[in-house]
Amino acid sequence: MSKGTSIASLSSSEPAVPAPPDRLRAGRAAWTFLAAGAVAIVAYFVVLPAHSNAQSVAFVLVGAASVTAICAGAIRHLPAGERLPWYLFAGGLGCQVVGDTIFAVYEIGLGREPGTPSAADAFYLAGYPLLAVGIFLILRRLGSQTSRAAVLDSLVVFFGVAIVQWVILIDPFRHADYLSETARYVSMAYPAVDVLLLVGFAQLLLGPGGRTVAYRLLLVSVGLWAVADEIYALDPSRYQGGDWIDALWLGSYVVWATAALEPSMARLALPDRRQLPRLTTPRLVLLGGALLVGPVLTVYEKARHGSNYAYEVAPFTAAIGVLVLLRLAGVVRAVEGARRSERAARHEAEQAQKLLARQNEQLVELDRLKDEFVSSVTHELRTPLTSISGYVEVLLDDEADGERRSYLEIIDRNADRLLGLVSDLLFSARLQDGRLELERLPVDLREIVEHAAASARPRAESARVALQVEAAALPPVLGEADRLAQLLDNLVSNAIKFTPAGGRVSVRLEGRDGTASIEVSDTGIGVPPDERERLFDRFFRSQTALERQIQGTGLGLYISKAIVEAHGGRIGVRSAEGEGTTFVVELPLAEDRS
Amino acid sequence: MSGRPLVLCADDDEDNLTLVALRLERAGFDVARAGDGEEAIEAARTLRPAVVVLDVMMPKLTGLEVLEALRADEAFADVKVVLLSARVQESDVERGLGAGADAYLAKPFRAGELVAAIEELLR
Repeated sequence: MSKGTSIASLSSSEPAVPAPPDRLRAGRAAWTFLAAGAVAIVAYFVVLPAHSNAQSVAFVLVGAASVTAICAGAIRHLPAGERLPWYLFAGGLGCQVVGDTIFAVYEIGLGREPGTPSAADAFYLAGYPLLAVGIFLILRRLGSQTSRAAVLDSLVVFFGVAIVQWVILIDPFRHADYLSETARYVSMAYPAVDVLLLVGFAQLLLGPGGRTVAYRLLLVSVGLWAVADEIYALDPSRYQGGDWIDALWLGSYVVWATAALEPSMARLALPDRRQLPRLTTPRLVLLGGALLVGPVLTVYEKARHGSNYAYEVAPFTAAIGVLVLLRLAGVVRAVEGARRSERAARHEAEQAQKLLARQNEQLVELDRLKDEFVSSVTHELRTPLTSISGYVEVLLDDEADGERRSYLEIIDRNADRLLGLVSDLLFSARLQDGRLELERLPVDLREIVEHAAASARPRAESARVALQVEAAALPPVLGEADRLAQLLDNLVSNAIKFTPAGGRVSVRLEGRDGTASIEVSDTGIGVPPDERERLFDRFFRSQTALERQIQGTGLGLYISKAIVEAHGGRIGVRSAEGEGTTFVVELPLAEDRS
Repeated sequence: MSGRPLVLCADDDEDNLTLVALRLERAGFDVARAGDGEEAIEAARTLRPAVVVLDVMMPKLTGLEVLEALRADEAFADVKVVLLSARVQESDVERGLGAGADAYLAKPFRAGELVAAIEELLR
């Protein structure tokens, strides 16, 4: 009831959180049914005369109402394909109602109870397998009690319950000479089918976690029914309609129907995916209890009746012992298996680590070899270049102006270019290794800019390009002067190369917010937008450079970018095709004086 | 002849050796030549040069090994050593200066640079 009220108050006081009206009604229906059922049960004992026909009719009515409610709940909350277990419950309980009805008809119409056996017995007994199958299907859909271990547990429970039922409730009827043979069998059949219900109850008890209200209600209803049956079976002859045990059966009807009406019946519990159910306390109690059943029963029967069920108890107890042993063996094996796979995994990890270490060594060695290779190739290229430049220089010293001198100058210039190329290749090989380690010394950028401009001036003049420099005095940048000079040389000589005769290259250095900004602009051919991103790639050469046969290796900007980034700065390009290009370099200043 | 300082040049590349010698002679030094590291050490022992200009990558003994041998010998305490090499990575330069070279110049070199460096060392 409390839940029903809380939902109602929620919807009235907090309209911001509207519960779906459909669900609300559905939830309320369950608790209304439970309340009505409780009232009916109280009335059954308080209002109706004891052992009266009215009680028999009321019993049938409560049962029929519950069966109807179970069907209604299943239809309401489940898609057609999933209703079977609940229909089985309705069928199983429906059989009881039919049995009760037959009883009532006999009592009211004929004024006597039906004999034993009667048609009522057939219905009563037929109901149990339906209930048991219903429980089994529900648990199977939840993925519970399907693993080997769970099946073993079920068998243990089954044998434990079966032997108790046999010794205490079934076997005594074998010797009940006061009953006809058929009546004896029927009387024995009741405790026998109860085994099914008891095992089902144990299964539900051990079932999955994350149980909803509906699951708990179902558990309670099955439990109530089983307990009522067991108490009844202890001495069926003492039972009369209207006894207090009726409260248990009636309660079971009502709670079962409540479970079916409760919306959470659509998803009774969290699906259970474990291959090996944990040995929880309830599980251990059940297994241990089953082991104790044999000895306790033997002693009990011996003490009470002086009789001895050795022949019956021994095989059951043995079976239970074997099953428990198998169950525990499963646990031990699983633990061993886990340990084995853990060992295997650890072994594998160690192997992988060793392999990695070996590969790492090989990489280091490869790195060293590559280094050595680059180094010796550079050496081998520089050695002949030394002779070429050196002797050309000697000849230039001796040669006055003239045609021969100009040829020698061409050789000298090209030897220089070749040397620059060799240096760039070596440098870019080192960048590829990610090894550009810089000194961190204060460098005056203005000096670097002016020096770069001064050494580029002859080239600018011979290309008839005007070279303008505007360099502000700035705080120093922390870095390596040679590398920054290389950067400026690259940018300025690039600008001159890409500017046609009559154009202008301007270099500007200024400080802004702790950052030095160097802009190298030209009035050259510009960079098309699709090339701007790749401009700083290694060996990238722009289409115009290739078409106009502007010399270069595609390394200059790649190296420039690496140098800028190694100084913690950024480089970018602005360009309008046909109007010129501006490279912008920003480098952090060592201290902010602005 | 005794007024002019003697410079011993060692290089396994004949053309480079000739070039260095030519440049130094034109700059007014006496020049002795060696074609490998061993020759360089022998010549240094007999000729007692004021300056030794060593290529690094030489057969038999490398320039670095010659340098180490000279530095290990008290008799050469005052000799100035210039390494002149086509190995130009920072690590090469550091190793050379670390081994006791007075200067490290890269090949290809400009004549002016080499002469200026030696004159600086002799001052």
